[in-house]
Amino acid sequence: MKKVTIIGAGSVGTAAAFYMAEKRVANILLIDNEEGRARGKALDLMEAAPIRGYDVKIDGSSDFKKIKGSQVVVIAAGVIRKPEMMRLDLLDQNIKVIDEIINKIQKFVPNAIIINLTEPVDTLTYYIIKKGGFDPKKVMGVSGALDSSRLREFIAQELDVSSVDTTSIIIGGHHDYMVILPRYSRVEGIPISELLPPEKVESLITRTRQAGTEIVENLKTGSASNAPGAAVCDMVEAIIRNTKRIVCAPAFLNGEYGHKDICLGVPVQLGKDGIEKIIELQLTLAEKEAFDKSAGVVSNVIKSLELESKEK
Amino acid sequence: MKKVTIIGSGHVGASSALYISEKRLANVVLIDVVEGLARGRALDSVEAAPIRHYDTRIHGTTNFAEMVDSDVVVVTAGKARTPGMSRDDLLKINAKIIGAISEEIAHYAPNSILVMVTNPLDVMCYVALKVSGFALKKVVGMAGVLDSTRFRYFLADKIGASVSDTTALVLGGHGDSMVPLPRYTTVSGIPIPELLEKDDIDKLVERTRKGGAEIVSYLKTGSAFWAPAAAVAEMVECVIRDKMRILPCSAYMRGEYGIEGIFVGVPIKLGKNGVEEIVELSLTNEENKALVNSASKVKSIIEKLEEERLV
Repeated sequence: MKKVTIIGAGSVGTAAAFYMAEKRVANILLIDNEEGRARGKALDLMEAAPIRGYDVKIDGSSDFKKIKGSQVVVIAAGVIRKPEMMRLDLLDQNIKVIDEIINKIQKFVPNAIIINLTEPVDTLTYYIIKKGGFDPKKVMGVSGALDSSRLREFIAQELDVSSVDTTSIIIGGHHDYMVILPRYSRVEGIPISELLPPEKVESLITRTRQAGTEIVENLKTGSASNAPGAAVCDMVEAIIRNTKRIVCAPAFLNGEYGHKDICLGVPVQLGKDGIEKIIELQLTLAEKEAFDKSAGVVSNVIKSLELESKEK
Repeated sequence: MKKVTIIGSGHVGASSALYISEKRLANVVLIDVVEGLARGRALDSVEAAPIRHYDTRIHGTTNFAEMVDSDVVVVTAGKARTPGMSRDDLLKINAKIIGAISEEIAHYAPNSILVMVTNPLDVMCYVALKVSGFALKKVVGMAGVLDSTRFRYFLADKIGASVSDTTALVLGGHGDSMVPLPRYTTVSGIPIPELLEKDDIDKLVERTRKGGAEIVSYLKTGSAFWAPAAAVAEMVECVIRDKMRILPCSAYMRGEYGIEGIFVGVPIKLGKNGVEEIVELSLTNEENKALVNSASKVKSIIEKLEEERLV
């Protein structure tokens, strides 16, 4: 049985562990600085196993040494947004958390594949690659897989069809300028533009852009955990089982889509080696412009990071 | 627990029962006129249940009365072509079989949704509709889901992608004139003309067209049954669980795509009432012409049956 470590036993990490257990993807180690939180959640999940019929092992600990032997490390640590906060507001606090984690991964599992959920996701995924000196093919974030799942559900609700039949592609940065591509958003292969009037498509897009915030505003003291957990589980499964699935995820670009030295959401093919291929879509001029604009936002944040390190 | 009756306990019928049980969709009644066949297949499947953990019932019988109160009736019965038999001979034999079965269904399970599998599919749907007197939307044929799953597999295999990311739409009659639509065939939402050269797409389309024959050529004494049964189970699940999936199925046309009064494969929304909606795609002229051409082949066979007073 393969081994997956999830760093951060908050709601997202726990949801991810739950989905992975249900799908019997791998044995799971939950790591959290608060030892009791990781242990308690792991134990609770194991105690549901006899009823749910999964026989993977789930362990919880604060001891990073235990991450040895993991094929995949999921990072779901750090602080989350409160109402009125932007994802970028989390940067300063979360970068310190990520620094510590990079250190531990270098020490105990330098060859693992890393999937980052900590926000701001594009910037921190880039930071992990640069600071940790990891192979860019082995580091990715979670954004498009989550955003697409949301749009797919909204499409299914709007058309009263099964969400199983829907697909969608969302690229660019994981923020208000995410690039939603209706041409590639389909029901059983049929573009939504053939099934819905343009103003309806536009309203679904707007809702998708704000979907994370919609959850935060509803919950007040928390943010989304199930859909992000399901998204990361899908990606982990693709890697562990080498399924070659194509999902959208922040990946290090080296000229693809006309960008270099940045992490942005693009369609990637996932397998046992991590990002096995970046798929280059034939974007229209307008789509390319939207992508560049989205890239600009991430690029500015990344530049501010470099400035900080020079000051120090 | 819902109830699904499968008429015909050959490989397709028995495998459909297996997939339906694995998905715990319904209790299954297998019916076959051959004494013992349905009973034996059903018993074999329930004896696997303790290992596979399904607790739905599977029962085999020769008695049509046992389909009473079924939510869905699947018809896989019919003869296969034997050496020396012409297509026309086969057509007449199967039309008579389907006619007789349809009367039984109208009698014992008048409120069921009827899923037809027997070939020539689109024609047998028509026979079943006429003889049973069922409402138009309650008769639906399995063809496009099978042709599409084949197309999806060939596509995933060709580009090294996961089958779960693929979608395909294959419309038209279930035969050599089927109409695969590459523009609506995607990997993760990306249409395949962006991913493959035209030559490669043509090859996949051609292989899909001949997908059934390819299996027959390997098996020699049999034909495909796993993929057809998986397609049947998918459609049964849509009806039982009211899933409203959009799937290519054979449905009765009332002017959609300019086709009227026959069954042909089109995208439909499949739910608890059967064909809940026929989805009209914005086809190009060429695509629509191929669909109409395919439909005209179905129509000419129906006319042949009408001349013989078999419908």
